Amino acid sequence: MHQTDFNYQRKDLPAGFSKFGLIFLVVGLILAAASFFVDQTRAAFNYLVIYMMIVSIALGSLFLIALEYVAGADWSTPFRRIPEFFAGLLPVLFILVIPLLFLNHDLFHWAHEEAVKEDKILQGKAPYLNISFFVIRTLVFIAIWVLFYFILQRNSKKQDTTKDQSLTTKNIRFSAAFIPIFALTITFTAVDWLMSLEPHWFSTIFGVYFFSGTVIAALAAVTLVVVILKEKGYFDPWITDDHLYSFGALLFAFVNFWAYIAFSQFMLIWYADLPEETFWYLTRWEGSWVIFSLLLIVIHFIVPYAMLLSQPAKMDPKRLKFISIWLLFAHLFDLFWLVMPNMQPLKKGYVFSWIDLVFPILGIGIVLTVFNFISKKENLIPVGDPKLKKGINFHL
Amino acid sequence: MHIDYSQEAPAIAGRLTISQIEELVARPLDTKPDRKYFIALSISGSLLLLGAICLGISFYYGIGLWGNNQPVGWAVPIVNFVFWVGIGHAGTLISAILFLLRQKWRTGIARFAEAMTIFAVICAGIFPIIHTGRPWLAGYLIPYPNQHSLWVNFTSPLLWDVFAVSTYFTVSLVFWYIGLIPDFATLRDRTTSKLKKTIYSIFSLGWRHSSRHWQHYEKAYMLLAGFATPLVLSVHTIVSFDFAVSILPGWHTTIFPPYFVAGAIFSGFAMVVTVLVFVRKIFNLENIITLDHLEKMNKVILATGMMVGYAYGMEFFIAWYSGVQAEQFVFINRAFGPYAWAYWIMVSCNVIFPQLFWFRKFRRSIPVMFVIVILVNVGMWFERFVITVTSLHRDFLPSSWAYYKPTFFDMGILLGSFGLFFTLVILFTKSLPVVSISEVKAVADGAQPTHRGGHHE
Amino acid sequence: MNKKLYGLAALFKTPDEIIEVAKKTSAAGYQKYDIHSPYPVHGIERAMKLKPSKLGFITLVFGLTGSALALLLMYWTMSVDYPMIIGGKPFFALPAFIPITFEVTVLLATLATVIGMITFFFRFPENDHPLHDTDYMKKVSCDHYGLVIEAKDKLFDEAKVLEFLNSLKPESIEEIYYPEKETYPVLEPKFVTFLIIIAVVTSGITYFALNKLLYMQPFTWMMEQPKLNPQKPSTLFADGFGMRTPVQGTVARGFLPYPYMGQNNPTEFLQNPYLPTKENLQLGEQKYLTFCSPCHGNFGDGDSRLRGQFPNPPSLHSTRAREFSDGMIYHIITNGQNIMPSYASQVTREERWAIVNYIRVLQRAKNAKSSDLQVVNKETGNNASN
Repeated sequence: MHQTDFNYQRKDLPAGFSKFGLIFLVVGLILAAASFFVDQTRAAFNYLVIYMMIVSIALGSLFLIALEYVAGADWSTPFRRIPEFFAGLLPVLFILVIPLLFLNHDLFHWAHEEAVKEDKILQGKAPYLNISFFVIRTLVFIAIWVLFYFILQRNSKKQDTTKDQSLTTKNIRFSAAFIPIFALTITFTAVDWLMSLEPHWFSTIFGVYFFSGTVIAALAAVTLVVVILKEKGYFDPWITDDHLYSFGALLFAFVNFWAYIAFSQFMLIWYADLPEETFWYLTRWEGSWVIFSLLLIVIHFIVPYAMLLSQPAKMDPKRLKFISIWLLFAHLFDLFWLVMPNMQPLKKGYVFSWIDLVFPILGIGIVLTVFNFISKKENLIPVGDPKLKKGINFHL
Repeated sequence: MHIDYSQEAPAIAGRLTISQIEELVARPLDTKPDRKYFIALSISGSLLLLGAICLGISFYYGIGLWGNNQPVGWAVPIVNFVFWVGIGHAGTLISAILFLLRQKWRTGIARFAEAMTIFAVICAGIFPIIHTGRPWLAGYLIPYPNQHSLWVNFTSPLLWDVFAVSTYFTVSLVFWYIGLIPDFATLRDRTTSKLKKTIYSIFSLGWRHSSRHWQHYEKAYMLLAGFATPLVLSVHTIVSFDFAVSILPGWHTTIFPPYFVAGAIFSGFAMVVTVLVFVRKIFNLENIITLDHLEKMNKVILATGMMVGYAYGMEFFIAWYSGVQAEQFVFINRAFGPYAWAYWIMVSCNVIFPQLFWFRKFRRSIPVMFVIVILVNVGMWFERFVITVTSLHRDFLPSSWAYYKPTFFDMGILLGSFGLFFTLVILFTKSLPVVSISEVKAVADGAQPTHRGGHHE
Repeated sequence: MNKKLYGLAALFKTPDEIIEVAKKTSAAGYQKYDIHSPYPVHGIERAMKLKPSKLGFITLVFGLTGSALALLLMYWTMSVDYPMIIGGKPFFALPAFIPITFEVTVLLATLATVIGMITFFFRFPENDHPLHDTDYMKKVSCDHYGLVIEAKDKLFDEAKVLEFLNSLKPESIEEIYYPEKETYPVLEPKFVTFLIIIAVVTSGITYFALNKLLYMQPFTWMMEQPKLNPQKPSTLFADGFGMRTPVQGTVARGFLPYPYMGQNNPTEFLQNPYLPTKENLQLGEQKYLTFCSPCHGNFGDGDSRLRGQFPNPPSLHSTRAREFSDGMIYHIITNGQNIMPSYASQVTREERWAIVNYIRVLQRAKNAKSSDLQVVNKETGNNASN
C-alpha cells in the first residue's frame, strides 16, 4: 500500500493562542467581576451559560476520544491530541464551578426554602433537589470525568515514547467503561444545571438534547483548531480532503441529530399540550423570546444544514472554519436560550444588558489559555499510536 | 488476546479469490433444494397457514375474536406491528448507516439484512391494516380526491405511519434492487439455463459493468444511503409518535423517539444475528460472514441494549421527578402491578442478559450469542407489550380497570407472521444471492489497486 | 463481411493494470471507450478523467418538489378545503406536518434518483447491447477487467487501435460486432401470449373482486349485523313483535306530556310563558319558516304552493285567527286541527311558543294601525312623514 513517510517534528502552537487567550482572559475577568457588582443575578445566569459551554467542550472532547477508541476509528487518530487538550479543561471545572455553587440561591428556585415550603411538588423533589446532594453530585461527576481524563491521556502520552500497543487495548477498555458512565453523568448534569432552573418542568429526552449540543460544540472546537493548524502547515503534507470531509460529515450528522432531538422534544410537548410541560416552551415564546426561539432553529439547524449539505462543502477548509465558529456560537446561543428565560426579571421577554456580552469573552479566554497551557510541552500528534499510520494514509 | 492495531483487519477471511467468492455465493442458486430445505419450508409454511386461517376466521366473525377490549383497545396486533417494524430496522441501518461510516464488514451481511427488512416490513404492514377490521377498505388511508370530499387527517400520527411505513418499504425495496442489479448481470452471464437467463436479463436491465455506469451507480448508492439513514430513524420515530403524542402516562414521554429507534436497531440486529448464524453454516459462508462480523454486531447489540436500558431508567426517574401522580402510578404499576412478570421479562432480556457481551469470549461464541439474541427478540416483543398494555389496562378511571389476555387468534396471527417472515426468508435464500457478489468482490484481497488513484469524489 | 464492428475489447487481470490502462487510454485521446469491471474499482473515474456525476441535482430538485407538494397538499386540504379543528391545533399545524413532508421528500427524491439514473443516465433497459453474450462480457462479469474502444470514436482506426491495445499487454483481445439482424423478442408469439394471459387474468380478478367479492360476506359493508331493525319480527317475545310498547306512563327524554291531546279548546289553562324578545322571535321565525310556511306561506297568508291542491291552507290573518288566544294557537300546533297534523314531535315546547309569538308579529304587521307607524318612526328617529 502506498504510504506517506511520516517524520514528526514537534512545533509550538501559533503564538496567537497564548496572546489572544491571555488578553481575553484578563479583559473577561475584569468585566465579569464588574458585572457581579452591577447585577449579581444576571451575572450568575450568564456565568452558568459559559460554565455549561466549557463543560460541553471539555466533556464532549473526552467523549470523542472514547468514541474513537471504542469504534476503532483511525482517520481521527492523528488529530486525537486536540480533543485531549480540550478535555484538559475538565480539572479546571473544579475551580470554575465554585462560584456557581455559592450562587445557588440566585440561580435555583428550589434552593429557596420558603418557596419549597409552599410548593407540594417541590417538596416531593426535595430528596433530589437539595443543596447538599446537589453539591456532592456535581463534585463527584467532575471527579469521575477528571479520573477518566487522566487515565486516557496518560496512556496516550506514554505511548508517544513506548509505542506499546497494549496501552491502546487498555484505553479501549477504559473508553468502553466511560461511555455508559458518561451517558449517566451528562444526563444528570443537564437535569441539575439546566432542567432544574425551572424546577416544575421535566422532559425525559433532555439529557439526550444536551448531549447532542455537547458533541456539536466539542466537534466544532476540534474542527476549528484542526483547520487553523492545517492552514499554518502543522499537518503538512499528509492531511487530505478525506480527513476534512470526515469532520464535515460528522458535524453535519450531529447538526441533524440535534434537530431531530429538538424537534422530538418540542413536537411531543406541543402536540400533547399538557400544562405541566407546555409552560416551559410558552416562557420561551413570551415577548421577545419568540425571536430567540425562531432564531435558534435558523442558527442551530437551517444555516449549518444548508452550508454543509453538499459534498465539496464538507471538505472546504474555509467553510469548515466558518461553520465551526458558527456552531460554537450556535451551542452558546442554545444554552443562552435554555438558561436565561428562567431568570425572574426576564420571564416576560428579553431585555438587553452588556453583561450578556462579557461572559463569552471570559469563556474564550479560559478555553484558549487552558488549551495553550496544556499543549505546551506535548506532541501535537500521538506519534506512538499504532493506528497513526492508518490514520495518516486514510482514504475514503 | 493480542491485536495488531496498525494493520487493517481483512473484511473477508480465508483469502478467497474473486471468482471463488462468486462461486460460493451463487452455488445455492445453481443447485436443486435438498430435503432439509423442504422440511424447513413446510414448517414455516404451516405457521403461515395457521396465521392465514386465524386471520380468515377473524375477518368473517369480526375482530371481536381478539382479546382487545376496553380499556385495552390497542394490544397484541399493535405490539406485533411495532415488533416487526423494529426488526425491519437493522437492514437499512446496515446498508445505509454503515455504508456512510465506511464499515467494510457490512458488505457480507448487507444483502441479507436488507431482505429481512423488506420481509419484516411486510409482516409489520399487515397488522395495522387488519386492526381496522375491514382491511379491504384500506385505500381510504390514501389522500385522494373523492366524492365524499373528505380528506385524511394529516395531523394524526396514524396517518404519518401510513406514509412512513410505505415510504420505508418502497425505499428499502429500491435500495435492495439497486444493489441486486450488478449481481443479476453476473448471474445472467454465468448461468446456462435459458429460462434463468431470460429472467436475470430482465432484472439486470442490461447492466454491463461499465465504469461510466459504476460512477453514477456509486453516487446513487451514496445518495440513497444519505436518504435511508434519516428515513430509518424517522420510521420508528413516527411509530413512537403513535404513542407519545397522546396524553396517556406511560405513552407520553419525550424520550420515546430516540428510545424506540435504539430499540429497533437492538431487536433488528438480534434478528439478523439469529438468522445469519444458520445461514453462514448452511451455505458455507463462514469466510464471508465471519465471526468478526458477528462479534461487531454483538457489540452493536450491547450498545443499543444499554441505550434501551438508559431509556427505561430515565422514564422511571422522570416519572418520580415530575411529581405527577398519574405518571408515578403507571411506572409503579408497570414494575409491581399485575403485569410485573412481563416487565421483568423485558428488563432481564433486554438489559441484563446482553451485558454478557462485555466479554469477548461470549461475543465470539455461537451458542451463547444465539441464546442471547433469542432472549433479546423475546424481550423486545415484551417491551412493546409492556408499553402498550400496562399503560392502558389501568387508565384514569379505576372502575374500568381490567386484565388483558390475548386470545388464541391473537397468538395464531402472531405465529402466522413468523411463518410469513421465515417462508419469505427461506424462499429468498434459494432464489437470490444472499450476499452481494459485487460488493464482497470489491473488498476481497487484491481487489483494489495498490496505488489508489486519489480521493473519493 | 456483413457484420458491423462495434469495437475492440481487451481483457486484463489485475486492478492495477486497469488503472494504468485507463490512464493511457484517456491520454491517447480516445473519447468513446469504456472500462468494465465486476465491481467499482477505486480511482477509476480519476484515471478515466470522468466528470463528477450530476445525479445529485435530480435528487435535489425532486426532493424540494416533494417537500413543496406535501406541504401544499396538507395546507390546502387541512386549512382551505376542509378546515376542521383537531385537538385544538391551528388549521395549519406546521409541526404536525413535518413528518409527512419529510417522508414525501425522501420518497420522491429516491424514486427520481433511481429512475433518473436508470433511464436518463444509463438508457436502460438495454438487453440488446452488442456487448451482451460475448466472452468479454462473461469475463468482466466475473473476475476480469476490460477496456472497449468503440468504432464510433473519432480516432478509431482498426489497425492503430489494435496496435495500441497490444502495447497494453492484455490477456486477450476480442472484436465485438453488432448482431447480424435485429430481433424483436417483444413480438415473439410466446411473449405476446404471456401478455394476453396476464391481461385476462388481471382484469378477471379485478372484475370478480369489485363486482362479486365485495357483495359476499364479510365484505358487505356490514350489512348483515346481529341487531334488530325497526319493524322486524323477533322470536324473543311471545307476540313475535320486535318493537315494544313502552311501559305505561313512560316519558321520553326532553318531552313533557301534553295533557290536552284531542280536546277542543283547553286554552284557559295555557298561558304564553315567553316574552317576545329578539332572540325568541328569531327562533320563532326560523321555526315558522321551517315547519309552518310550507302550507301557510312565508307571511301567513295561506298562499303557499299547496293552494289549490288540497283544501286551501287558511290565512293566519283572518279575524278568527287574530282573535285566537296564544294558548289556542299553541294547542293547534301541538294537537293539529282538521287536516293539519300534530307538530308535537318536530317542534319543542319552547319553539312552539316562539312560533306563536312570531305569528302574533306577522298578524300585527299585516294589520298595522297608524299609531304603530308613529311608534316605528319614533324608534327609528324618522320624522319625515309627520
